[in-house]
Amino acid sequence: MTKKKKLTLNDISRNAEKRLTEINIDELIPLPPPYDKSEELPGIKPLTDDQKTRLVDNLDGFNALVLLKPQSKEEEDKFVRQFEAGLKKLLNKGDNWTFLQPLLLSLEHCVRCQTCSDACPVYVASGKQEIYRPTYRAEIFRRLINKFAKPGGKWLAKLKGADIKLNWATISRLYELAYRCTLCRRCAQTCPIGVDNGLITRELRKLFSQELGWAPKELHEKGTVLQLEVGSPTGLRPDVAKDNMEFIDEDFTESLGIKIKTNWDKQGADVLLLHSAGDILSFPESVIAFAIICDKAGISWTLSSDIPGYDGVNYGLFYDDIQLAKVATRHAQIAKKLKVKKIVMGECGHEHKALATVADRLLTGDLNIPRESFITFFEDIVFSGKIKFDPSKNNFPVTLHDPCNIVRNLGIVEPQRRILRYLCPQFREMIPHGVDNQCCGGGGGLSVMSDVNINDFKALIAGRMKLKQILEAFSDHPRPDVNKYLCAPCLNCKLQMRVIFDYYGVQEKSGIYIGGLAELIVNAMVDLKKPFITWGEE
Amino acid sequence: MAQIELAGVMLQVDEHGFMQETGKWTEDIARAYGQKEGVTELTDDHWKALNYLRNYYLANGICPMVRRLVKETGFTLKKLYDLFPEGPANSACKWAGVPKATGCV
Repeated sequence: MTKKKKLTLNDISRNAEKRLTEINIDELIPLPPPYDKSEELPGIKPLTDDQKTRLVDNLDGFNALVLLKPQSKEEEDKFVRQFEAGLKKLLNKGDNWTFLQPLLLSLEHCVRCQTCSDACPVYVASGKQEIYRPTYRAEIFRRLINKFAKPGGKWLAKLKGADIKLNWATISRLYELAYRCTLCRRCAQTCPIGVDNGLITRELRKLFSQELGWAPKELHEKGTVLQLEVGSPTGLRPDVAKDNMEFIDEDFTESLGIKIKTNWDKQGADVLLLHSAGDILSFPESVIAFAIICDKAGISWTLSSDIPGYDGVNYGLFYDDIQLAKVATRHAQIAKKLKVKKIVMGECGHEHKALATVADRLLTGDLNIPRESFITFFEDIVFSGKIKFDPSKNNFPVTLHDPCNIVRNLGIVEPQRRILRYLCPQFREMIPHGVDNQCCGGGGGLSVMSDVNINDFKALIAGRMKLKQILEAFSDHPRPDVNKYLCAPCLNCKLQMRVIFDYYGVQEKSGIYIGGLAELIVNAMVDLKKPFITWGEE
Repeated sequence: MAQIELAGVMLQVDEHGFMQETGKWTEDIARAYGQKEGVTELTDDHWKALNYLRNYYLANGICPMVRRLVKETGFTLKKLYDLFPEGPANSACKWAGVPKATGCV
C-alpha cells in the first residue's frame, strides 16, 4: 500500500471533480471484539452511478448534503461571489451581532499548537485523517476571512504565504466538510486560549445557509421550516400530537395499571414540559415517565398544543441564526401565553443550548421566562422524599452518557449522577466522563441527517469513540446474557446511538439497551407494581 | 431529484428511494418495491400493515408510531421485520408510497 500524500490547506481549491481523500475502514482506530473485524461490517455504501452523475462528491466519499452539480461556470461563479459577500458579513457587527465577538476571538488567537486535534473525536477515531483535523477546516476559513474580509487582505495573504484560492472546489468542499464536525466543542474546552473551532464550523454553516441558501434539507426545509409551519420537524400536527398522547396514555394505563393522563394547555401551571416531539413518536416511555414523576410529586404541569409548543427542538442552533431566533421566540411566547411559572426543558441537549444559553441574549423583558433543565428538576423531586424508591428494582448494569450541550456546555454534571448513584446499584462511569465526555457522534444536527450514506460516517467515525467507551464501561458483562442500560438523556444522542447500534448489531451482540433518565427513576418507584423498563419486550 | 421506474411508472424519489408524489402510488408499485428487496409475493399480512400505514399517513400527514402499528395490526415488532426486511420505517413506509420520516424520530 502506498503511503497517503499529506493533505495541504491549498489542496481544498484544487481538482474540483476529485475527492480530497478516501476513507479506508482499516485505518480507523480499532474497536474491541466482536466489533474488530471490518470485513463483518456493512462497510461504506458507495454512491450509485446515478448519484455520481448528479451530486457533488469531492470530499471523502460520504455525502450528507446532496449538493447538485452546477450546470454552468456562471452558476459556480455566482455561488463563489455569494460566499465572498458572506465572509464580509460575518465580520460586520450589523449583520452578525450575535456571534461576532466569540468569532473574532477564535479567529485571532490560534497559535496552531494542535492541542485541540487530540481532543476531537472525529479526527482521533478516523486514525488522524488530516481532512478531519479541527484546525484544517478552521485555518482555511481563517485565511479566507483574512484575505477577503479585511482591508489589504489579498496583498497580505500573498506576502505571508497564506493565500487560499476561493473557487468552486473550495466552497463545495467546505460545505460538506462543515458537516463532518459534531459541534461537541471538546476542542474549545482543551484549547489553552479558548479558540472555539465548533463555533467557527457553525459560522461557516451559517454563511452557507443565510447567504447561499445552502442547508441540509433535514435541518431547514424538513426542519425549522416545517416546525414553524406545522409544529414539528417530524410533521406532527397539534391534533395528531394530542391524539398520539391519548393513545400512549391509554396504552400505558393499561399495561402499568396506574392512571396516566397528559395535561394540555393548562393555564397557570407551574411547569410547561417542553419535550421533543420525536420522544412522543419514538420513545413514548420517556414522555410517560415524565408524566408519572410529575404526578407522583404533586407538580402542576402541562404540555402545549400550540405550534411548535410540543416540540422543543431547535435545529436553527445548528446552522442559521434567523431560524434559531424564530423558534426560540415562539417557545417563549407560548410559555408566556400559558402563564406558566417556568419551562422545564426535556431530555434534549440542543434544546438546552438553544433555549438556556444562546436565546438568553434574545429573550429579554417579559419573554425571559425561567428555564430549567429536567436534570435539576428531577434531582429536587427524587430527593424531596415525596416518592418512595426501591433501588433494588434497578439492579442491572447502568452507565451514563453526557450530552455535550447539557454537560460540557451548561456544566450540569453532578445532579444526574447523584440520582443514578442513589437509584442504580450497578451504576458505573464511562472514561472519560462529565465535561470531558465523548460526543455521541450525532451532535450539531448530524443525528437527524441521514441522506445518501452519511449514516455510515456517523456509525464508523463520528460515533466510534463513544461506542468504544460504552463497550468498555460494560466490559465486565460483554455478552447479551445480561441486559445493560445505557442512560443517554438526550433524544439526539439516543437516535445517534440507535444508528451506531443498528450498524454494528450492538443490542444483539452485547445486550445493551438505550434509554433516558426518567425511565430509570420510574422503574425504581415502589408504587409501580410492574417493571417500567422492559428491555425491548412489548 | 432522483427518478426510478417501478411497475412501468416513472417516479420521483429521494436518495433512499422513497416516493415523493404519494398520489402516484399503486398496489403494483408496492409489489415492485417488495421485489427489489427480495420479497416476491405480498401476503394478506403485508397488505394489512401497508394499508394501515398508508391510510394513517393520508389522514394524519405522518407515519404512525411503531407502537401504534404494532397495536393496530396485532403484529409483533419481530413479525414486522420478518414481513419487511428493512423494518417498518425503511421498508414498510417505502412500499406504502409515503415519504421517509423526518426530524428526530
